[in-house]
Amino acid sequence: MSANGHGHARVFCRNPKLAWREIDGEIVIISPEDSSVHELNETAGMFWRSADGKRDVDEIVRELASLYEAPVELVRADVDELILDLTSKNLLVDSLMQVRP
Amino acid sequence: MSGTAGTMPTAPAMPGATPLMDRLIRRTVERHVPLSVHMDITYRCNERCVHCYLDHEDHGELTKDEVFRVLGELAESGTLLLTFSGGEIFLRKDLFEILERSRELGFDVSLKTNAILIHAMQARKLVELGVRRVQVSIYSADAAIHDSITKVRGSLERSLTAIRLLKAQGLQVKIACPLMKQNLSSYQEVVDLAAELGVPYVIDLTITPKMDGDREPLSLRATGAELFPILQERSCGGRASAEKAASSAESLGSAVSSSVESTAYDDLTCSAGHNSCYISPYGDVFPCVQMPVAAGNLRQKSFQEVWRGSSEMKRVRAIRESQLRVCSKCEIREFCERCPGLAMMEGGDLMGPYERACELAELHARNAGVANPVSAWHREQANRPAADSRRETASARSAEL
Repeated sequence: MSANGHGHARVFCRNPKLAWREIDGEIVIISPEDSSVHELNETAGMFWRSADGKRDVDEIVRELASLYEAPVELVRADVDELILDLTSKNLLVDSLMQVRP
Repeated sequence: MSGTAGTMPTAPAMPGATPLMDRLIRRTVERHVPLSVHMDITYRCNERCVHCYLDHEDHGELTKDEVFRVLGELAESGTLLLTFSGGEIFLRKDLFEILERSRELGFDVSLKTNAILIHAMQARKLVELGVRRVQVSIYSADAAIHDSITKVRGSLERSLTAIRLLKAQGLQVKIACPLMKQNLSSYQEVVDLAAELGVPYVIDLTITPKMDGDREPLSLRATGAELFPILQERSCGGRASAEKAASSAESLGSAVSSSVESTAYDDLTCSAGHNSCYISPYGDVFPCVQMPVAAGNLRQKSFQEVWRGSSEMKRVRAIRESQLRVCSKCEIREFCERCPGLAMMEGGDLMGPYERACELAELHARNAGVANPVSAWHREQANRPAADSRRETASARSAEL
């Protein structure tokens, strides 16, 4: 199980305030807070769809590694970078934490 | 794995799209994905605006369950941008349930309302549901003028109170001001009011015939001569220009003032039927709210059947700007905001010219410094033999009657 340094599973969910849609194979996201539009490429979109607030990051990483036939550690590094990017933009939130006001 | 492909703010981007939005528009146009849908959920209204084109009787609105089904079909079809309008949407007792379902389905939700039924509770609820933007119609900062247009005493005060409540809740609010003879003198006041409220505004000159074809509302339109001083003031850095910083989404004279312009539309006349459409409260699907080309009814067919399969949608989709017999040759085309729907409603031809577009194009061109601008249609009329001109005039007169 992936841990956050305190032994807890890392579980993220899409910010419920967002609007998003898969359009022509890519994820398009609109934030109601600042009307910013974001687009995820296909692989980032795979993680986005899995970020349902129930599955922990490690489980998703293993699935993606299997799907893309890539080393788990490589995928984990990519996913960590993506999580940093998405959380900094308030698109993705830690399921254990409140959505930022 | 790379992250987000890009970020850009949409609100300040209108009417021109930034590269990310441009790419999205291009993809949805090419694939015929209905990215943006305008859905009227009622034609009932608690105001009786003098210029309104609607019949406010309820002739059998889609039920909540029917709306839910349509929303599901739109989500599956790729719709992201959803605008609920009317009539007055807050007259639907199930409005919040519809909004809640829309948000559950991931739509970006905008509302158009007169806001007079919005109080603190409603404003809070809209924020909780994640509604992104609310557009409120304001005709004047002068209650006597505004209320005389809505025919509801106290409506301006109630709408402005609601705007402040919505702003206080952190919602994006935009003022829409349809400009006509009655409120022409209020133009600058509305600009100032928007600045005072800290909201963007859009000035819209679109006054259309009623749904039953009654052209009486057209008599309310401001003439070119009446509008020209406003255009001049805006382009000469007058007070209006000074307020631009406070109003990022302003537009004057556009029939599609809330839409995003994009190079992705290239040779298309507009987005209607390509990546956007309109759904009436009775489930009728049209390429656009201003284009009376009924493509099918969602009580009889699925959205995909109508969107993909109807001959009307295909016909509209096939139109190219370069095919327009008269307008494609027009020397002042760059100043024209011709709307194909209005061309049909006012000129009877989806692909033809119409008087109001030519009048406004000449006005814009003159304001931009073009000497004696004449539209291709006006030039064609002027060059016709006298007998033809007389017949045209007679024909135009009978259409007016």
